[in-house]
Amino acid sequence: MFDIDFNDSGQVVVSGRLDAAQAPRARQFFDAINGGCAVDMSGLDYISSAGLGVLLSTHKRLMAGKSGLELVNVNPHIRDIFRYSGFDRLFVIRPA
Amino acid sequence: MKKTYRRSFDQIAEIVADTERFFAAEHLDPGLRMKVDLSLEELFVNMVTYNTETDRDIQLEMRRVTGGVEVCLTDYDVERFDPTIERQVDIDAPLAKRVPGGLGLYLVLKMADSIHYEYHDRVSKITFRNIVAEGTAADHV
Repeated sequence: MFDIDFNDSGQVVVSGRLDAAQAPRARQFFDAINGGCAVDMSGLDYISSAGLGVLLSTHKRLMAGKSGLELVNVNPHIRDIFRYSGFDRLFVIRPA
Repeated sequence: MKKTYRRSFDQIAEIVADTERFFAAEHLDPGLRMKVDLSLEELFVNMVTYNTETDRDIQLEMRRVTGGVEVCLTDYDVERFDPTIERQVDIDAPLAKRVPGGLGLYLVLKMADSIHYEYHDRVSKITFRNIVAEGTAADHV
């Protein structure tokens, strides 16, 4: 189960499991974003390389316009994946 | 546990559900789940994506071993592809030089406590283990 939507504060909220089967849906959502935004990951239980790819390509596109993604409320498991992937050096990451 | 899956990303949800049932039945440390799920997905996705010359199902076997779990994926009638060969991924590269892709097998090698590849008669078999470190809880990746 994976879900993605905006909350009332304009943050992107992702929850559940962002795996290879769900990555196309996440990509479609992020592709429609044209400015910097925060991504609330408090409900995200799992992310694989397919999900990492979506975040990376979105962040690169937005950074070209001097904005980007900020990843907030990241749980320790997901943060470890980001660390192994070097994403902790590419994104602003705020732990839960 | 021994089961086969169609060559489709749609099968990932079923693999996750089966893994969850296996962990519960075997009373395995839930702290190992993230590592097992990640390695399993990355290897399965790799087989589905690149071993396109066959339409045979992929076999998954999972068994309890001392201190953890052993997972084996078998792909039939395919070319040799050894995922245990170290892949160069520059995780220190700046954003401008990072490109999506290539992280999957890199993460598998980081996550697995051991990994082994066999190839005979066009059968590709990958076995990995995740073990709880003695005296510690496997609550982090």
